[in-house]
Amino acid sequence: MKVRIALTMLCVISLGALAFADLKAPKQATAGEGITITASDGGELLLYGPGGASKRKVSAGEVQIPGEEVRAAGHYIAVMGDSSADFYVVAAKPSTLNFLARPSRVPVSRPDAISGVAFVFDDFKNLVQKPAAVKFDLSVKSAAATSRSVETKNGIAYTRMPSASKEGAAQFVASVPGGTPVRRVVQQVASDACDLHMKAQKTEKAIVVETDPIKDCSGNAVPDGTIVTFTEVTDKGRSTVDARIKRGTAKAELPLAASGTISVASGVVTGNELHIGGGQ
Amino acid sequence: MRNWIVVVLLASLFIAYAAEKVGPSVELNASAAQPRQVEDVTEKAITRDYANAWKIMETALNENRTDQLGGGFAGIAQDKLQKRVEDQRTSNLRTRIIDRGHKLEAIFYSPEGSALQVRDTAQLEIEYLDGSSVVHREQVTQSYLALLTVGEDRWKVRVLEEVPRS
Repeated sequence: MKVRIALTMLCVISLGALAFADLKAPKQATAGEGITITASDGGELLLYGPGGASKRKVSAGEVQIPGEEVRAAGHYIAVMGDSSADFYVVAAKPSTLNFLARPSRVPVSRPDAISGVAFVFDDFKNLVQKPAAVKFDLSVKSAAATSRSVETKNGIAYTRMPSASKEGAAQFVASVPGGTPVRRVVQQVASDACDLHMKAQKTEKAIVVETDPIKDCSGNAVPDGTIVTFTEVTDKGRSTVDARIKRGTAKAELPLAASGTISVASGVVTGNELHIGGGQ
Repeated sequence: MRNWIVVVLLASLFIAYAAEKVGPSVELNASAAQPRQVEDVTEKAITRDYANAWKIMETALNENRTDQLGGGFAGIAQDKLQKRVEDQRTSNLRTRIIDRGHKLEAIFYSPEGSALQVRDTAQLEIEYLDGSSVVHREQVTQSYLALLTVGEDRWKVRVLEEVPRS
């Protein structure tokens, strides 16, 4: 009888121990910092996370999970026997940026022409979901830099900036405090021609037309290779010649005519008109 | 009569194939995307490619295979998944996800149209396995932040992070 009572008590104690077998983990941890899980009993601890999985034998008490096993942000679950404990790992402090700058080539003096998108990550390539300040700087040599500080939302900071009035390679830099700045180059080129002006000269075989040096409204030379269209309208019909800017000007030969009109255009910009005839 | 049986059989096979191919149900609401509006064609592509990525991930985690990951994932997300699957294989662990569907909300679409961020509310039943034994099972409504970038022929998941439940 005594043996039966002792066995029953032993069973009750064992079942009680099983019922109380427990795992405890903090609700939240920081990536790469390691955590402590408390196990009320020894056994095999399984850990499933977004960037790994592991199995280890542990004794009752505190189980140290090293930082390298909890580098990935997200949901983790620890399982031992019938017990489980879950926790979230959140990103560490911002340290690196992925930076998209568009476009790579842009005309000068255009409002909101350049866009910058920065994705903020920690040292372990986790997107930092907490708000962080990202600084965007856009500068061209010999002109003042334009700066803007933007707070991230869900790990992303976004800005639009105007292009500068001077042409050249603009340095577009994004940075977070304590991180390495990321640099992109945006080539700022002359905008559309401004005050497009040509002159004409009659020769024995043709009318030679040539523009003055072609510049945009900020005084930047429109790049060589840009197409300039000369159009001659006479009573015999219309003649059009596309010429490329070469060393700052564009030049073409049009058919001889006794009278008519010559016009010049580059893109959407039209220049002056010349009238042929009357001794011109 | 025989022709009808063949037609019905073929139709059933096609439906089964299509269901298998499409993956979990994904609904996308792109009305709040900033700063660029999501085009209709992009919405359809995101829905299709995100579903495909989840299907690939579910297969990878259940079968401990990494060979298909590149079809739906890129960059950081692919690296992390690869590591997780390799670890699972080493420890003889598996994760089985029974996917009940995803509701996506587009929250950021980059100005040049190459990156899109969504918040995903997923209904999942997850089984954690040690060998072939289920050691833990849970039904969750889990929120994810996903960043997709456009590749040669499809959108791929570049970041996939769970958002802590509040």
